[in-house]
Amino acid sequence: MTDLQWARISNDAFNLALFAYLAAMVGYFVFLAFRRDAIWKISRLVAIAGVGANLVSVVARGLAADRVPWGNMYEYSSLLALLVVVGAIVVVEGVYKVRSLTGFALMFSVLTMAVAVSFLYVGPGPLVPALNSYWIKIHVQAAIWGSSLFALGGIATIAYLVVDRIERRRIEALGAQTPPPIMGGSVDLDAPGADATRGAAPADLVPDPAEDVESHSAKRRLMPSAAGLDRLAYRIIALAFPIWTFAVIAGAIWAQEAWGRYWGWDPKETWSFITWVVFAGYLHARATSGWKGRRAAVIALVGFASLLVTYYAVNLWIVGLHSYAK
Amino acid sequence: MSSPPRPSLGQSVALVWRTLRSMRTALILLLMIGLASVAGSLLPQWPNTPDRVAQYRADHAFWGAFFDRAGLFDVFGSWWFVLLTTLLFVSLVACLVPRTRALARALRTPPVQAREIDALPRYAEVRSATSPEAAIALARRTLRRRRFRVALDPSRPALAAEKGVAREVGSLAFHWAFILLLAGVMYGKGTGFSGLIAVVEGQTWIDAEANYDGTIRAGRFFDGFTGVGLRLREFGSEFLQTGQPMDFVSRVDLLDADGNVLRQEDIRVNHPAKIEGLWIYQSSFGWAPVIEIADDGDVVSSGPVVMDRDPAPEGIVEFAMPWRGVVKLPGAGEGGVDRAVELELWPDSRAFTALLAGGEPQAMLVEFDPVIRFTVWEGLLTDLATTRLDTASLEEVSSGIVGAGRTSDLTDGQALPAGDDGSGTTISFPSLRQYSVFQVGRDAGVPLVLAAAILILVGLLPALYSSRRKLWVRADPADEGAVLRIGGLAMQRKPQFEEEFARLVDALEAATGGPSEPHVEREKVQTP
Repeated sequence: MTDLQWARISNDAFNLALFAYLAAMVGYFVFLAFRRDAIWKISRLVAIAGVGANLVSVVARGLAADRVPWGNMYEYSSLLALLVVVGAIVVVEGVYKVRSLTGFALMFSVLTMAVAVSFLYVGPGPLVPALNSYWIKIHVQAAIWGSSLFALGGIATIAYLVVDRIERRRIEALGAQTPPPIMGGSVDLDAPGADATRGAAPADLVPDPAEDVESHSAKRRLMPSAAGLDRLAYRIIALAFPIWTFAVIAGAIWAQEAWGRYWGWDPKETWSFITWVVFAGYLHARATSGWKGRRAAVIALVGFASLLVTYYAVNLWIVGLHSYAK
Repeated sequence: MSSPPRPSLGQSVALVWRTLRSMRTALILLLMIGLASVAGSLLPQWPNTPDRVAQYRADHAFWGAFFDRAGLFDVFGSWWFVLLTTLLFVSLVACLVPRTRALARALRTPPVQAREIDALPRYAEVRSATSPEAAIALARRTLRRRRFRVALDPSRPALAAEKGVAREVGSLAFHWAFILLLAGVMYGKGTGFSGLIAVVEGQTWIDAEANYDGTIRAGRFFDGFTGVGLRLREFGSEFLQTGQPMDFVSRVDLLDADGNVLRQEDIRVNHPAKIEGLWIYQSSFGWAPVIEIADDGDVVSSGPVVMDRDPAPEGIVEFAMPWRGVVKLPGAGEGGVDRAVELELWPDSRAFTALLAGGEPQAMLVEFDPVIRFTVWEGLLTDLATTRLDTASLEEVSSGIVGAGRTSDLTDGQALPAGDDGSGTTISFPSLRQYSVFQVGRDAGVPLVLAAAILILVGLLPALYSSRRKLWVRADPADEGAVLRIGGLAMQRKPQFEEEFARLVDALEAATGGPSEPHVEREKVQTP
């Protein structure tokens, strides 16, 4: 097949994936509203079909341009959307058995792809010399994987903040009549003294914050408890953080090869550092008493926003060495 | 009546130290550095984009001056950024030293015995056919095989075990790595330097202070230049039809300090050359026409003129801009006044003719019948050192055009027919060459920084994913054997520990189940 045909296949598959994600997103939201397993199964199937189309689009793009298919923002967005949906299905639904966040992950991917196709589209072409290095495989891949996980972590964090607020209100309402039950949700069981409580009561009566995320009995529950979501967000961010660290380090090594310095406070470097700092702050905050819960979650949200700035604003509006990545 | 006692100096220092040691302080400092970085990315920065800083200062008089004074145009080199970084690192060390000591202590001391095993978060009981002492010995072996640190209780058949020191070791390695990183950065910047050189095809450059263009950014402890060199044999560039660059390559001979060719190398973007600790990078390139100026056949000036390009106006590609250069000839004009020949090169004359015909500016990507438009100035040259021409005290005398391989009369601007060397003052344009700009630098701190980066990653993984967990086993005599009371707790990753605890209990049960089938038990122990 010719490059032109591959390019056409890539574009068609991209559109197909976008519509599949959109349909699956609607499906997942309907599932959230009506809680029918059948709807979930169909939505999931549609989302997986979208992943297939997205993958075809990415591969065909690589064949059309005869290089790695992550050489500009359009291609990066496509791969990012793919990894976010895969992450939602494999990690969030698969490992942690949480189905309620996939719709939001799909929404993120739909927006990413819509922005990409509307504003960032460029035809397949060769790389500029500055990008033509094997480090593009290492550095950009790590950045995409890290970003997709941070995005999922951001979604889980938002869900946590919403559910936590609902739970607090519920506890307040309950508190007017009866003392708040210990099973009520956001009671911080990691706090000092929690172990003592746990020691006194039979182990299976005291809920572990992560139990909602992990145990099979929680499968029935649609949305995990606030503590469970907090834990989920932490797990995903803790997974993303070393990958992001590696992406920054790989970028520094590449910068040494390409620009003669490993760090020069170029806007992209600066913002990837800011993102790193904010998420490092989040990980530390979660280990510091008084900063846990909502405060840490707000830091994670700032990190999520910083990630978006690192990706969109730096490439599009701030002049720097990464401006070619448009 | 009396005011509260003022804290002594020692108390104040202790308070500051305690404040610095807290993670909250470190966190706040880290987030402040993040905020400073935001400012550094939103405002143009001197080291990165000096033109944009100048533009900003011209456009915003008040705020420009204010930001300049506040160091906001050089955030990462400002005193307050250095202060923040220093405070963060002091805080880091203050936090790390006691933690490292505590870890060393913990590694030396055996795990502490527990009193009430059945009050622990995880608890199980296992029956054993052996004596309590034998059961504990077996349990010890089982746990050791699973890489637990085990301490036996001297007073009774019981043991304490723990695992997962990797978490703290990893966390400390991660944090200490930043000290190493800082050391590497400071060492590299302190002893290193970075500068730009422009080398014309066929010319040789030697690593010496005078041979760098513009300023050299050298560290305080930079100890001099190496004397090695490079000769640019050829520069090549490739472009797509669209004007997108595909490849820039400088084919060079690398020379040792005695001028002998060490090896040939192609320097490209992403492919620097390394010689004697120097890294040589492809940075940019341009045209250098060879210009010969003669008086009645006597050559007064000859050589390649390194040319620059004006920044392209909005909407015009930079490759459409002509290249400019100047030949300065002090005392060469009429009556001994200074003379300067200003040159404007059009590497692709098709773009020149198209523009003259009223067409659109075209990108000039390849050499095609190049022409030079020249202007002769006479008067007083105020600045001989630079390649810029200040025409304030000069007067335009003549102008004309000279094509590649041709000669023109300098005084009346008339092009001479081929083969005619002319009389009077002439300008010839024998050939067009290219020059290549290299960034040359040295940074001996790179290996240290790389080591720190690896340590950061290697430390991060156990710091995030491993967990400390403790296990206690006590064997109490029971009818015809012992009952093992097993208790455990995990500091982190508690749900995972639940499963691990169940597996450990199974393993202990298998190991101490009875002395009759030792072979089978051992196999069972080894299954993960």
